[in-house]
Amino acid sequence: MRMRNCFFGLVRAFIIGAAVWTAGQSGFAADEYAYDLVHSSVTFKARHLDISWIHGRFNDVDGKFSIDRENPSKSTFHLVIKTDSVDTANKARDEHLRQPDYFDTKQFPTIEFKSTSTKPVEGGYEVTGDFTMHGTTKKITFVLKGGKEHQFKDIKRVAFSTELTLKRSDFGFDKNAIGPIGDEAIILIDCEGMRK
Amino acid sequence: MPDPKLYLLAMAASAIASLLFVLAATAVVRPTSTTRRNVASILGIGLGLAVGYNVLALRLAWPPVKGLDRLLLIIVPATIGIELIAGFPCIPRSVAWLMRTCLAVAAPRILLRGSVYLSSPGSDRDLWLSGAELVLWSSLLIGTWRLLTLLSARSPGISIPMALAMTTQSAGLTIMMAGYIKGGAATIPLAAALVGTTVATYLMRNRISLSGAIGIGVVGLFGILFIGRFFGRLSTACALTLLLAPLLLWVSEMPFLKHRKPWLVGSIKVLLVAIPLMVVVTLAKQAFDREMAPLLSIIYDVLEVGS
Repeated sequence: MRMRNCFFGLVRAFIIGAAVWTAGQSGFAADEYAYDLVHSSVTFKARHLDISWIHGRFNDVDGKFSIDRENPSKSTFHLVIKTDSVDTANKARDEHLRQPDYFDTKQFPTIEFKSTSTKPVEGGYEVTGDFTMHGTTKKITFVLKGGKEHQFKDIKRVAFSTELTLKRSDFGFDKNAIGPIGDEAIILIDCEGMRK
Repeated sequence: MPDPKLYLLAMAASAIASLLFVLAATAVVRPTSTTRRNVASILGIGLGLAVGYNVLALRLAWPPVKGLDRLLLIIVPATIGIELIAGFPCIPRSVAWLMRTCLAVAAPRILLRGSVYLSSPGSDRDLWLSGAELVLWSSLLIGTWRLLTLLSARSPGISIPMALAMTTQSAGLTIMMAGYIKGGAATIPLAAALVGTTVATYLMRNRISLSGAIGIGVVGLFGILFIGRFFGRLSTACALTLLLAPLLLWVSEMPFLKHRKPWLVGSIKVLLVAIPLMVVVTLAKQAFDREMAPLLSIIYDVLEVGS
């Protein structure tokens, strides 16, 4: 009786193991890419006094994305921007932007995007996901253009770009502190992912 | 952007609300005991703060997400509650100080909640250091609070809340010039409410100990300096100077001053507290002129060309 129980236990363990392995194999169909900081950029621009644009960028960005060519809806995108790395080519302004009136970098050290659904469209993907900035998370949808692959010295690369328009007041930025800088900010993301 | 007219309006509204409330409360409830006056002064400051923040249209989030939200929605109301309870004669002093100590211990952690200081301290050494730093700040808060309350009991009067109001406003100016405009503006109703309550007490011609008002003033000052230090660009030296400046009022307890004319002692006290405040504000102005003014001058140039 004990032998029989032991045998069925082994069979059950084998079946579960095989199922887990198969599921894992199907997951491997997606290519995992790491964000390439050297060949990517996250820049932004905002209206100044409603007559011109102030440009800036975030120098410290990380992320990863997985591209499933067979089933694009399983592709995922994740981007983490370090707010402390804001750079508008003016040290005093950058320091001001790090303060609680703006990015509050000690309280909210990152701006994060995590996709929740992806669908293929002509020339790229339409990505929907949670965008968290300044402690507020909102669902946003945008089109990521690109997705072409390129193999260079054993490293496989893929690139995407997009442009988002966000209202700072939607993300808990103080309206009183918006002042001469416009409420709307345009964020331009050009990112390259790489994998061995 | 800073709006001086709005700040003046908030200051006036806050001070008048506190003053009228304290006068009305003590006029309606007679005979007024020290406890009732203390309760009236605490509630007067609470009302002054509410009115001032409403005029400033200061947006605070609930649940609180930022240091300033936590200061104004948790720490300051908790202090008002503790001071109201502590003011009743049936509450033993030890219990009152236990409540105050608990608040002082919790305040730095509450203010830093969710920030990089508590969520990603790095190594064990960093964790130990940040823990030690928090203990140090809590000790400074409770030490200042205790010393000023003790001084108030020894020589009651308006000098302590007035010095706290002066220091709070200087802290606001310094924080604002360091680039944190909303944080600096948040000090305006607090300083004005302290002045309103103190003037009302002075008008009643009664030398009572304003321990409740002092508690709210000390905690408010500590909170704003702590936020300015950890979230803004206020240096540790400036924050400590501003926090400890009101302790110079203890000079009045020195033997060679204790029995001098009150106006002379009062003038020396105000002058002694004002000196470090002036030094800090002057240094902040110099840093502002050096770092921030060029940005503003660009804006003014554009505006002039535009007009």
